[in-house]
Amino acid sequence: MSSFLFEQIVNGIITGSVYALVAAGMTMIFGVLRAINFAHGEYYMLGTFAAWWVMSKLMVDYSLAIVAGVAIVSVIAVLIGRSVMQRLIGQPFQAGVLATLGLSLILQNVVILAFGGGYKVFSGGWLEPIELGDFGMSQQRVILVVVTVAVFAGLEWMVRSTRLGRSIRAVSQNIECCQVNGIDVEQVVRRTFLIGVAIAALSGILTGPINVSIYGGMGESITLKTFAVIVMGGMGNVRGTLIAGCLLGVVESLVAGFIGLQYRDSVGFIVLLLMLMFRPHGLFSSKARF
Amino acid sequence: MSAESMLRIEGLRKNYGAVAALQGVDIEVRRGEVMGLIGPNGSGKSTLFDCCTGLQRSDAGRVLLKGVDITGWPMNRIAREGRFLRSFQKTVVFPTLDSEENLVLAGQMSRFPNVLSTFWVGPSARKRIQALRERAKELIEVTGLARVAHLPAGHMSGGQQKLLQFASMLMPEPELILLDEPLAGINPVLIEKVIQCIEHANKELGVTFVVIEHNTDVLMNLSHRVVVLHQGAKLADATPEEVVRNPEVIEAYLGG
Amino acid sequence: MKQAILSTTTLDTPRMPATRVAAVNWSACAAGVAALLCAPLFLGDYYLHAMVLAMIFLLPALGLNLILGYTGMLSLAQGVFFGLGAYASALMSIHFGTPFLVNFIVAGLVAGLVALPLGIPALRLRDTSFVMCTLGMVVIAQMVSKNWIDLTRGDMGLSGVARPRLGFGDWVYTVIKAPEYFYLVLALAALAVAAFVALIRSPAGRCMVAIRDNETLAESLGVPTWTYKLLVFMLSAVFAGLGGSLYAHFSTVVSPLVFQAYYSNTILIIVLGGGVGKVPGAIIGSFVFVAVSEALRITPELRMVIYGFVLLGLVFLFPQGLAPLFQRAAERIAGIGKGPRDVR
Repeated sequence: MSSFLFEQIVNGIITGSVYALVAAGMTMIFGVLRAINFAHGEYYMLGTFAAWWVMSKLMVDYSLAIVAGVAIVSVIAVLIGRSVMQRLIGQPFQAGVLATLGLSLILQNVVILAFGGGYKVFSGGWLEPIELGDFGMSQQRVILVVVTVAVFAGLEWMVRSTRLGRSIRAVSQNIECCQVNGIDVEQVVRRTFLIGVAIAALSGILTGPINVSIYGGMGESITLKTFAVIVMGGMGNVRGTLIAGCLLGVVESLVAGFIGLQYRDSVGFIVLLLMLMFRPHGLFSSKARF
Repeated sequence: MSAESMLRIEGLRKNYGAVAALQGVDIEVRRGEVMGLIGPNGSGKSTLFDCCTGLQRSDAGRVLLKGVDITGWPMNRIAREGRFLRSFQKTVVFPTLDSEENLVLAGQMSRFPNVLSTFWVGPSARKRIQALRERAKELIEVTGLARVAHLPAGHMSGGQQKLLQFASMLMPEPELILLDEPLAGINPVLIEKVIQCIEHANKELGVTFVVIEHNTDVLMNLSHRVVVLHQGAKLADATPEEVVRNPEVIEAYLGG
Repeated sequence: MKQAILSTTTLDTPRMPATRVAAVNWSACAAGVAALLCAPLFLGDYYLHAMVLAMIFLLPALGLNLILGYTGMLSLAQGVFFGLGAYASALMSIHFGTPFLVNFIVAGLVAGLVALPLGIPALRLRDTSFVMCTLGMVVIAQMVSKNWIDLTRGDMGLSGVARPRLGFGDWVYTVIKAPEYFYLVLALAALAVAAFVALIRSPAGRCMVAIRDNETLAESLGVPTWTYKLLVFMLSAVFAGLGGSLYAHFSTVVSPLVFQAYYSNTILIIVLGGGVGKVPGAIIGSFVFVAVSEALRITPELRMVIYGFVLLGLVFLFPQGLAPLFQRAAERIAGIGKGPRDVR
């Protein structure tokens, strides 16, 4: 029994790290733009589809597909960043909601129109298991955790040591001040958006081999779960999303393992509603950010 | 002016984090008087208004309206049941409604017994709204807004909005009004008008006023009594003549 | 009654004109109604179906216009109450065989009553959190409808919802053909529009606009804003539930698919694209976005892409078209202080 429990927890941490990655991007974007990116899950989906397309149509192998996928989504992110996201600076929140909602409709349905609405098989990935004591875990899962830790460490370093990182912190705190002080706020927003979206796309590509079947509408539930994670972690709080993401993953895993597999996806939404009702400012940060 | 207590503030305290905006303030406002409230910026004047009217919750102390403890009452109840209104430092109106609608809205809630009755437009409701419209038209005339009355209030100039805000205060026939810098940012002609309106409301309608104003000349003429706040505490509470001569007040605020 | 000061066809008005709380252009209405009454004489079944769908979606759209256009709350939960009404009606019809009007009214009541416990906690939330909460409601509704198999038969759905039976004593009339549906739905949609107009012209309607324009100011003038917001939330749910009932009796099948984002998005586009905060907004929107897309057989996916672009266009090119929505947010940003409930 306890090794089953242990396995569930480990699996939970792994799925949780994916949630954390995606949420880190969304929370960063919220930090600089004060807008929730309702289309965030679509970039995760786009990354997955880009890699899938490159592998199945261009016969490229997985490791190259990772690079290609992130690159393709990055190009899209640059376009969207310039045309939509930077125009949301200073706008009331409804603008952000409706604009990103519109983007999610476009992205999701263009993919369905282009590739069809059915499930596709994501082949590729490193699925050889690594033996860890009693049980084996596929290499892909290990890579996921490693990448998560690396990305978060990288974000931490960036925020502390680079100019962009300092600008991000400044814009997150006081946007008017930045505009007066000569920080190019639009550029910061574009770059933050690019980083956030690229991370989401990367998560999608790395999770592809584990999910195996992918479909155009998969971004939607990711977006909603990400809401739960960023609310738990505190909106704008990047470190918080790491803990919150893993927490959500573990809870999901335990519910799936002990109560029923069909309730797995509802955990995220119930958590979201509970958090919004009782602790809208998150589990960790003490002041309300929104 | 009677000796009856209109508003009594006892030991009001409010902190914003480490900053003590109000440090135990006691003030009594008598019915029918015009009380001036002065003090340097940051002395807690607007915070006092916020705490009395329910916009902010005070950390300690009580607010009594005609002897009734209204501490902790929601803002709309204080306005409606307590007939106690306040204006805002930054002039606010309902921008998409024209002047008449703004005024009807302001007066509306005191005319209907409960929320549900506002959904049904029967003959008695229509009569009440009609009465409100007539009163609104009068006020529009009195304040000289007739020329711009048809515009959405958001398109009026700042001074005009201020007059509209003031007129809104009078619509529900309140007993106590707190005015937060009613003369800021308007030209001298309009200042005269606003002063006349305040005096009219006070003398003819018996409305009690507490007025925050930096235009001390006007305020001293207008007020029966003046309270001075400094760093969240009451520095003086006397007639205008006495306050103007008070050395502490001169040092803190009026300038030597 | 006050004379109309402004034209009511406001799709392309760049400015946000002043409004007596509601203005109705009677001649345009009369012309429109006359055209509709004659429609079955000219249009074939296929086009009539498209119009019936448009009028069915008009109801939840009116509800959304009430809560969004007039009270300023961005709720994406209309689909929840639409689906709830559909299921309620379907269950009544299947299990009790009750006549249509009974099912119709029950659907509205159920939706309104469910909105109460959902609204009370949700309305404590501000802005973005409120939107997320309403999205969460949609997902929960999907989950419940898929998993409460005993009641809803899960993904298989409820089929065999009876065609609307309108009865007076011995005489019973069953609506089967397209023109019959058309007139039934037209009558009910007209009633819904009348109810909507009555609401926004009432003193309560004025309070709603006040809440949209500046909630704190409204509160300071004695408006119990939270109570109104809750009542409006419930009323908009009633509108949506009634629409769901019509849908159930029209398509005769109800499944968890009714909670898909597709329906919520359609309702949103109808209101935003048609003219938010305007009396004929939902009417124009449902005609443009539902009837036309049905008639042109535009696939759902393509429709969503178009809706997406419409949303982007509305946000960036015609912000004045959404002016009432944003006005309140702008005031809040400028700031006249935080209320005791504001620190979340």
